Amino acid sequence: MGNTLEEHIKRTRQLLECGEVAMVIGYERGSVENRRRATFVKEVSELERMVLDGLCCENLANYLVREELLRSFDGKKVAIFLTTAGVRSVNILAAEGQINPDCVIILGFEAEKPGELDSAIKMLDGEHVDHYADSIQQLKSRGFVNDRAQVIVKLEMMSAEERFAFWREQFSRCVKCYACRQVCPMCYCRRCIVDCNQPQWINASAHDLGNLEWNLVRAFHLAGRCVGCGNCEQACPAGIPLMLLNQRMAQEVLKEFNHFAGESSTQLPVLADFKKDDPETFIL
Amino acid sequence: MAQILEKNKLDEMIARLNGDGCEVFGPRKNDTSSWYGKISRAEEFCFDQILPDRPLKELFFPRTEPMMKYEIKKQQVDAENYVLPKKQRVIFGARPCDAVSLTIDDALFAWDACDEFWFERRENSVIVSIACNKKDDFCMCTSLKSSPDVSTGSDVLLHELVDSAGWRVSAITPAGQDFIDKLGDVFSTTSTDVSVKPPAEVPVKFDLDAVIRKLNSPEIFESDFWKTISVRCVGCGVCTFVCPTCHCFDIQDEGDVYHGVRRKNWDSCSFAMFTRHASGHNPRPDQASRWRQRIMHKFNYYLERFGQISCTGCGRCSRVCPVDMGVTQTLVTLSTNGGK
Ligand code: SF4
Ligand code: SF4
Ligand code: SF4
Ligand code: SF4
Repeated sequence: MGNTLEEHIKRTRQLLECGEVAMVIGYERGSVENRRRATFVKEVSELERMVLDGLCCENLANYLVREELLRSFDGKKVAIFLTTAGVRSVNILAAEGQINPDCVIILGFEAEKPGELDSAIKMLDGEHVDHYADSIQQLKSRGFVNDRAQVIVKLEMMSAEERFAFWREQFSRCVKCYACRQVCPMCYCRRCIVDCNQPQWINASAHDLGNLEWNLVRAFHLAGRCVGCGNCEQACPAGIPLMLLNQRMAQEVLKEFNHFAGESSTQLPVLADFKKDDPETFIL
Repeated sequence: MAQILEKNKLDEMIARLNGDGCEVFGPRKNDTSSWYGKISRAEEFCFDQILPDRPLKELFFPRTEPMMKYEIKKQQVDAENYVLPKKQRVIFGARPCDAVSLTIDDALFAWDACDEFWFERRENSVIVSIACNKKDDFCMCTSLKSSPDVSTGSDVLLHELVDSAGWRVSAITPAGQDFIDKLGDVFSTTSTDVSVKPPAEVPVKFDLDAVIRKLNSPEIFESDFWKTISVRCVGCGVCTFVCPTCHCFDIQDEGDVYHGVRRKNWDSCSFAMFTRHASGHNPRPDQASRWRQRIMHKFNYYLERFGQISCTGCGRCSRVCPVDMGVTQTLVTLSTNGGK
C-alpha cells in the first residue's frame, strides 16, 4: 500500500507553506509532448506545473549535489521525488559525506513501466532514507534479473578478443563530452580525475586510447556506487550501452563482497574500505 | 528539362567516385546513434532520418586530431607538422542546415590565423545536400531565416522525386556542376519537368530580430534571466558537441617530457573547466554565466564580428539535451518577454 499522488502533492504544499523546505525538486512537462524534465519549485503557486507519470525517468538526486542549487537551499531541507534507485543514491551521497540525509525529504514513487506514458505509478511510503531499508534489501536479494543480464551473459561467453573488439567499437564513438559523468548523482567530484593535468592521468583526447581510459575509469569509480538509475546511458549522445558496464560491475561486487550500492546511509564504500583481517596483503 | 539521380544508381556513383580516388561520406546509423561517415556501398546510407545525431562538422573538424609531433633534445626542439593526406571527398546526403553550418564556421576558421586543417578539407570536399521534406518538433531552420531547402553551403542540391525513386539534381556552385559533369551518365535527363516533394513545413518558433534586439539591450547581461533559464543545466556540453557550428577547441600535448604529439580537441563553453584559471579563479563561475556565453556568442558576438548568426536551426541541442534544455526555449523566451 502506498500513498496516493494527491497525498504527495498535499504534503509538498504543506512543506512549502510551513517553510520547512527551501525547494521541491520534481518533474514538469518538457519542451515536447513525450518529455518530462526536472522542475524546482519554491512557491506554492508553482506547484501546479508539477507532473508525475511514467515518463518521469530521470534520477533527480543528481541535483542534490549541484553546487549552484546547493547554495540556494540555504541550510533548509529539500523535498525531492525519487524512485528507489534515487533513494539509494541519496544513501551513497550521505555515506560519502556529501549530504545530510536528514535534510532530504523523500517523495517516493515507482513506475510500473518506466518510460511509458500510461504506466501506473505507485507511491512509496517513507520520507527518510531509512524507511527504505527493507525495500532496498528486497531489491538486493532479487539480484540482477533483467534483459541486460542476458546480454552480459552473451558478452561473457565471447573470447577476450571478441569482447575487446565489441567495446572498442562502442567506445570509438565516445566524444568525451562527459555527459555520462555530469548527469550521474555519484559523479560529484569538484575536480574529476580527467580534469587533472598535473599529472595528466587520462589522455584528454577522444581517440581510442583516451576513450578506453575514460570509460574504464568511469566504470571502476562507479563499481559498488552505481545505483543503476540509467541517467548516464540516457544522456550519452553516442549511444554507448554504459549500463552493461555498470551492471556487470554491480553484479561483481554483489557476488564477491555481498555489496549492493546504497543499502544504507552508513554503508562503507566497497572499493575505499578494507578489513585488517583481509586475506589479501597488498593493501597494507 | 531536369537532371535526375535514381536511387538505384547510387552504387554506380560510389564506384565511379572511388575509381577516381574520391571518398564518399554520408548519413549512416546503427541501433543507437547516427552520424556522417564513410560509405562504400549504397545500402550503408540512411536517408530516412531527419538528420544524423552527430553534426557534419566532424568531417572537417574532428573531435581530436594531431597537429604536430615534437621532440625535445639537449640543444634543440624538433617539430614536425602533421600534413593531412590530400583526399577528394564527396559528402552525399548532407542536410541543408548542416551545409549552412560550414559556411558559418568558415568565417571563424579564417579569422586572424587561417586553420589549414579546416580549409584543406573544405577545398577537397563537394557537398551534395538533400532538401528536407520531413521535420520533427525540434527543427527550427525557418526561425533562423533559413529553410529546409536552402542551398547555402551546398555544391549540389537534391530534391526527392514524388515517387521516392530518386532526386532532381541542381548544381549550385561550379564545383557542383563539375561533379555532375564528371559523373555524366549516372544521371538521367528528362525533357519534361519532374515533380518533387515539397519542402517540409517548419513552423517559425520565435522572432529572431526580437532575440537580437534583446541581446543588444544593456540590461540583459546582468539579468537574472540566465539563472532562471539555465537552472536545470548540468554542464555536460552535449549541446555544444552536437552543434554543427560550435567550434571551440583545446590544444593538448600528449606524450612525455621529451616527445609527444600536439592535438586539437573539441572543447565546450558549457564545461566549468573551460575558463578556470590556474589560480582556481573562474570568471564564469556558474552554469548561468556559461549559458549566457553560449547564447551571446551565437546570437550577438558572432553577429557583430562576422555578420552571421552562429546557429543553423538544426535543433540538435534541444533534441539531445539530457535534461531537456537546449537553446530553443531560451530564444523563444528572449523573443517574447524573458530577460527583462
Ligand atoms: S553510473 Fe549511470 S546508472 Fe550508475 S548511478 Fe551514475 S548515472 Fe546512474
Ligand atoms: S556520455 Fe558517451 S560520448 Fe560522452 S563521454 Fe560519456 S561515454 Fe563518451
Ligand atoms: S543545456 Fe543541456 S546539453 Fe547543454 S550543457 Fe546544459 S545540460 Fe548539457
Ligand atoms: S545552437 Fe542548436 S539549433 Fe543552433 S546550430 Fe547549434 S545545435 Fe543547431
